[in-house]
Amino acid sequence: MNLDGMRTYRTDESVDAVIVGTGAGGAPLLARLAAAGLKVVALEAGPNFTPERFAFDETLADEIYWTEERLSGGSTPEAFGANNSGTGVGGSTLHWGAFVPRADARDLRLHTETGEGVDWPLSYEELAPYYERVERFIGVSGPQSYPWDPGRRYPLPPVPRNAPAQLMAGACDSLGIRWADAPAAVVSQDFESEGGPRRNACINCGFCHQGCRNGAKASMDVTYLPLALTHGAEIRAGAFVHGLERGSDGRVTAVVYIQDGQERRQRCGAVFLCAGAVETPRLLLHLGLANSSDQVGRNYMGHVATQVWGTFANEVRMNRGYPSSLITEDFIRAGSDFAGGYLIQSLGVVPLTFGNAVARGRGLWGQKLLDYLDGYNHVAGIGINGETLPCDANVLTLSDETDARGMRKAQISFGYSTNEERLNAHATKVMRDLWEAAGAEDIWVLERVAHTIGTCRMGRDGSSAVVDPVGRSFDIDNLWICDGSTFPSSLAANPALTIMALSLRTAEAFLAAGG
Amino acid sequence: MSAPDLLLCLHFLGGSARSWAPFSRILGGIPACLPVDLPGFGDASGATGFSIAAMADHVAGVIRARAPARFAIAGHSMGAKVALALARRSEDGEAGLEGLTDLVLISGSPPSPEPIPDDRRAKMIAWIDADPETRQREARAFVQENVGTALDPETEARAVADVLQAAPEAWTAWLEAGSREDWCRRIGVLRIPGLILAGSEDADLGADAQTALTAPHLAHHRIVTVEGVGHLLPMERPEALAEIVRAHWRDRPQADAARAAQVPSAYAALIGSERVNSRLRGALAARAEPDDPAYAPEALDPVELAILRAACARVLPAAGVDLAARIDTRLASGAGDGWRFVALPPDPEAYRAALRTLDAAARAAQGRPFTVLDGSNQDALLTLAERGALSVPEALGGRLDGDRMRFWFEDLRADAVRLWLGHPAALARVGFSGIGAGGDRPGPIADGLPGFHEVGLDAPEPWEPRATQAEVVR
Repeated sequence: MNLDGMRTYRTDESVDAVIVGTGAGGAPLLARLAAAGLKVVALEAGPNFTPERFAFDETLADEIYWTEERLSGGSTPEAFGANNSGTGVGGSTLHWGAFVPRADARDLRLHTETGEGVDWPLSYEELAPYYERVERFIGVSGPQSYPWDPGRRYPLPPVPRNAPAQLMAGACDSLGIRWADAPAAVVSQDFESEGGPRRNACINCGFCHQGCRNGAKASMDVTYLPLALTHGAEIRAGAFVHGLERGSDGRVTAVVYIQDGQERRQRCGAVFLCAGAVETPRLLLHLGLANSSDQVGRNYMGHVATQVWGTFANEVRMNRGYPSSLITEDFIRAGSDFAGGYLIQSLGVVPLTFGNAVARGRGLWGQKLLDYLDGYNHVAGIGINGETLPCDANVLTLSDETDARGMRKAQISFGYSTNEERLNAHATKVMRDLWEAAGAEDIWVLERVAHTIGTCRMGRDGSSAVVDPVGRSFDIDNLWICDGSTFPSSLAANPALTIMALSLRTAEAFLAAGG
Repeated sequence: MSAPDLLLCLHFLGGSARSWAPFSRILGGIPACLPVDLPGFGDASGATGFSIAAMADHVAGVIRARAPARFAIAGHSMGAKVALALARRSEDGEAGLEGLTDLVLISGSPPSPEPIPDDRRAKMIAWIDADPETRQREARAFVQENVGTALDPETEARAVADVLQAAPEAWTAWLEAGSREDWCRRIGVLRIPGLILAGSEDADLGADAQTALTAPHLAHHRIVTVEGVGHLLPMERPEALAEIVRAHWRDRPQADAARAAQVPSAYAALIGSERVNSRLRGALAARAEPDDPAYAPEALDPVELAILRAACARVLPAAGVDLAARIDTRLASGAGDGWRFVALPPDPEAYRAALRTLDAAARAAQGRPFTVLDGSNQDALLTLAERGALSVPEALGGRLDGDRMRFWFEDLRADAVRLWLGHPAALARVGFSGIGAGGDRPGPIADGLPGFHEVGLDAPEPWEPRATQAEVVR
């Protein structure tokens, strides 16, 4: 993004806040604190890209993924990199799918409802105003009437229903399942961003996950980050944070980072860790900080994200259009033998993503693989995003292996428990039924885990949580966390919209507390 | 290009320059043969310097003294390893060795440590400096064990005499050290054309071993198996050797411009159109570049690369893209995809260990290296890997257990398919239209990109490519 004319701060000047990470967690609060007149500096580990580089190609898009190695174990090892982890100014929103359902109110009090999982230390009613602010600001396209929340209004009309969406809508109709055009943070009309560039309407190119070329997709570099700059924030790219300096009272006094091969330190009054649910706990474990609860790294969660694929006689060409343009939330409460639920979305993916899924998940190889890939233009998918409950066995730790900087790599152990297994079985049957109803042949199931959630849970009690309900560390009162790591449970909804809403909420709390 | 001017001839363990006499006579001076006694053998039995490098130095001295314009080297067994070392030096531009045009490798000892069973090695070392009677008996047995059919008495007597003339230190040095020296990475992949000869009755260094361990070092080679012959082809069948060599020089294996996968013209036109942005056009052109047949692996060694090529041919049988070389390039670059299975070592190490395990499994199950198995037997082993059931004891060369082989095989499938689908020939084959959704526009927010107007079922836009192989695969 264009950083020309950006206000800059001296490293020996104590700014009000340093924000580590410029994705969905860091960017909204950067903009909000700057707008309140605070001196704020964001440190982004990745480079600053210009969208001219976004080239409609999966291999060339490798540069926007976090490709420093993580070690993945457990009974359902999760893929990182392109699956869920981004880099660059804008963080993972450069490659995110921009699929923005809100959390279901019931998911925030799951324990009260079912005795399983945990309750969040906040209610949907507290979150809703922030959801509305985010949706309005970033430009969410969606249906004018949302079947599962009749009062909800989206600021922009939906993006076009692509072929997988048409297939799923027809199948839902025949099975009596309600569906809606998906809430998508992709502008269906030309859109003026407050403090940012004019964004062009989506051209249906299908390359959301490879970086949006015309500003249609609400990545942070065309939304909250330009707004932050207009209010005097500074963004430093290529700045990898590896240390925090503290005063004799234990409070953070400076953030230590490497930029251009040099170690630098930025003095600050507060620090916000917004590096995602892998890098945030990795940094805290590396430093041995903010962990009197012993919860840092615990309860790592990925969503149950199983997909079902099938081949159609129709010409599908699933690469065209917004990839997940249909949703049903009919299964947010679905099964009698598991807590929570899942949403279903239609799916179109570009060839390498598809080939990777086929080769890994379907296990095809040889001539069968080539033959199956030949049918690419006739394939469509559907997939879920399903609740994962916190679990002791799912944990992020530091490996004995180190990265090029000598910092220990993150090792993530993740596996489904009974609740996820049952939810997955239920969803798989529903999706198979849907695809059979849609007329698919050669149906197969791709087991998959998505997103990075948990590891620094929020709660009301410092003995069992890392941060309080607004994201402030119980141990260090000027250290805050704002990203997917604070989620106490996964929710069925995709996480980014909720992360942005929490980011604004955290900013307000910080401002209300006097900074 | 015809025969070179001079053919250096390097003998086997226990041979000498004289081993080549019948062959040289049959060639009749076209080209002239220059057999060399390696240090410790024949008339050089008093000389020392028994390492591969020292033997190569010795031969390099002989070559420089003659200063031939164009020369070839024939290496027999031990001599082949020396010949390969000289070929590497020649390709690296060493003064005086520039004129090397061909290698003829006869029952060659490979650049990798030669697989000699320990008990045989020990026995050979034991008798070489035993009492004269034992030496005489064992030398004769040694010659007889190494031929397919008995030599004529005169040739056999000469061969036995050569063995007995060898300096025991040179003999022992080869068995204990020279044959075990690992030149696999140092030899790398040579561009000099090579003729690889094997005897059908050669137990250890026959066609299988040559295919697995020697051929990977020669980008342009031909393997010829001579029926009924054991390990001593130059003495067993000198006329057949001469005939094969002459034929080879009339028709060397082509430095084939490795037939690259072709991009159909209609798809090439799409790539060239203003629907496709310049960065992508450049990347697609780079991916469509033919692979170098003499690609020198960096993460893997040449033998492992050959196993990977064989595995890739089964995993993703698309001709015209050297997926194995491209995987090696990726492994060597250190660029990963952001994660790996915790059970596996780092990617380059995992690949090396897995490929060696796959080869060990082939040897354990079939008694043959993986690269020479037919497709169905290779598939059977890969299927075991897929199921987590490929298990090879460590003593037999297994380095990854069944679970780890399963993880690695998943990674291999993914690496292969991702590389393949990045290639414009693959995108054309599946009829992928996405590359045409946008061209070059100035500025961070592109205006007026074409994108897609039609996104629904059964509504292709007129310009969209169609799959070239099949419409619907069921």
